[in-house]
Amino acid sequence: MRIADLGLARLQQSLAGRGLYLRTGPFTSRIQSPIASVARGIESLYRDFEVADNSSFYDFHCELRAPRSHRRFYRPQVLFLSDRRSVFKPLACQQAYPMLEWGLNWCIANQVPYRLVLHAAALERNGKALILPAPPGAGKSTLCAALAHHGWRLLTDESVLVDLATNEVSGPARPVSLKNDSIRVIRESCPSAVLSTPIADTLKGAVAHMRPPTDAVHRSHETARPGWIVFPRYRPGASIQLKPRAAGSGFMQLIANAFNYAALGTRAFHSAGRLAEESACFDFTYSRLDEAMQQFDRLADGR
Amino acid sequence: MDADTALRLALARPESMAERTTAEWAPLLAAARESALLGTLWHLADDAGLAEGLPEPVASHLWGAALIAEHRSRALVWELHGLADGLLSRMSPGVVLKGAAYLAAGLPNARGRLANDIDLLFPRNEVERAEKLLFFEGWSGTHHNVYDQRYYREWMHELPPLVHQNRGTTLDLHHNILPETFRGHPDPARLRQQSQALPEPFRFRILCPAHLVLHAIVHLFSETEWDRGLRDLYDIHVLLRHFSTRDGDAFWEHFVAEAEALNIAWMAERALWTANRLLLTEIPAEPVKRLARARAGIALRGLGRWSFVHGLHTRAGSITPRRDAVARGMLFLRGHWLKMPAGLLARHLFHKAFLAEKPETATAQPQPEQHG
Repeated sequence: MRIADLGLARLQQSLAGRGLYLRTGPFTSRIQSPIASVARGIESLYRDFEVADNSSFYDFHCELRAPRSHRRFYRPQVLFLSDRRSVFKPLACQQAYPMLEWGLNWCIANQVPYRLVLHAAALERNGKALILPAPPGAGKSTLCAALAHHGWRLLTDESVLVDLATNEVSGPARPVSLKNDSIRVIRESCPSAVLSTPIADTLKGAVAHMRPPTDAVHRSHETARPGWIVFPRYRPGASIQLKPRAAGSGFMQLIANAFNYAALGTRAFHSAGRLAEESACFDFTYSRLDEAMQQFDRLADGR
Repeated sequence: MDADTALRLALARPESMAERTTAEWAPLLAAARESALLGTLWHLADDAGLAEGLPEPVASHLWGAALIAEHRSRALVWELHGLADGLLSRMSPGVVLKGAAYLAAGLPNARGRLANDIDLLFPRNEVERAEKLLFFEGWSGTHHNVYDQRYYREWMHELPPLVHQNRGTTLDLHHNILPETFRGHPDPARLRQQSQALPEPFRFRILCPAHLVLHAIVHLFSETEWDRGLRDLYDIHVLLRHFSTRDGDAFWEHFVAEAEALNIAWMAERALWTANRLLLTEIPAEPVKRLARARAGIALRGLGRWSFVHGLHTRAGSITPRRDAVARGMLFLRGHWLKMPAGLLARHLFHKAFLAEKPETATAQPQPEQHG
């Protein structure tokens, strides 16, 4: 059964009751929340995702609810709980849905010790993975959203999973987070993209999430071989430039962007090392999305 | 079966893990994660021949946690080598305590255990010399204000924690196993006299078996925060089983005699009861009988036992969260009551509430947007 088959009423019922068991790629999350905007967000953005029955195993247990204090009435707030423990500072209640997305990202970053977890976006084409690690503001998510509508299969916008033994790359194929100007850019350049209503005034400005393409969701169990590691940089007015980067320096950037590199030690070292060696590494500067898409087409075709 | 019961059963009888249903596994893992016992469960399942038969995602979570514990252990052993070969070699060898000791001595509870920091015991008049020497190897103090300095140096059994400036490892220098101000005060010379040399290449010592278990007991049963208490109770359980299997009655004889000599028979009595009750630790009748003298009066005994049982529940897996919260509150008060005489306690709590700087933001909860 998928979210679309469930309908909003039953979705709300499971969220408010024993929880919604949501499958995203290799993970199952048990999500509980009485908040209406959380249910509406899931209904719209996770439409194509599978729902598991509630005797299934789940990897993460998340709950979004009001604090048990006066802040449930006065300027209401929302808490994110993982395994019944609040892990973040509370946010204003209207930010409940983005908080679910950030919370699920936190779960993957902190509770998946059996994969190397990279803070990066990833997409697949012809069985090969394109990994886009980048600091915030580099245009990683914008590129990722555009590529997901331009012949590439979305693996993840935020957390790349690397198998420690085989180096297969995968991701949960969850919604892509877009901020401020990139919301408008994606609306204009990808007319078929479905975006949530932007929520203004978060710490990052306006935030909206993009529904992952149906095909990416249905194939989210398929892994990919390492292909390319591209470090993007958005520079207004710049012409596109793709410059090879040495594997060693690509490796250093990879581990700087790995959540659990230090915790896993030697295994993470070898895994990241093989990943950098098996991939072609590049630095990529761009300002116009259409030019960037053509560049990635050429990359995929080996031109 | 509820998650906490299933977790305790898995620790006491690893073969019980074979009976867990898929629906039972997820909350069991959450409870184990909270208690820092995931890696331990992997080794227990593996030793019981169950690793192959575990549901795949369960095996992944357990195996991954064991990887992290293994890496952390390796790093800790590496630090121990460095400490042994460094300036501390100018002093008579210190005694390694707790996690690092289990690791260095290869005790069975060390596998899969997430060891956090290094604890070393020196005589009181040498401990500040060790601190000075370690400064030149990059270890420096964390608590800089006058009150905290006085709190540690006058009232506690350890110096303010040292942190390595490059690697962030924490090192605690102890001169006793309980605060100076604690009710009932063990003689640290007794601990050091009976300590044993660790096998080469570690130029450190380790407490004798009876003291090793008693220290694990003291560590949990004097605590104000019981958050990872189940892991501590599991240490007590495994160490008791290991030494009593190896040394038989001689171990128990020595254990009871030392508990009495160190003035901590009352804590040992509570620990044996709790370990037997929650982890089915086998304890012969004789030590129970001899320690019965150290029992609390009937009313307090019931209340104490109730709070130990509930305080050892996890937040993730408990089915009695409200009662657990009451128990945690009682254990918090009990821990402080034991730690300091009433006057000093009132002064300390007043300082913490009104005068102390609030804890640094590093320990506070992060902003969720960092994960977007």
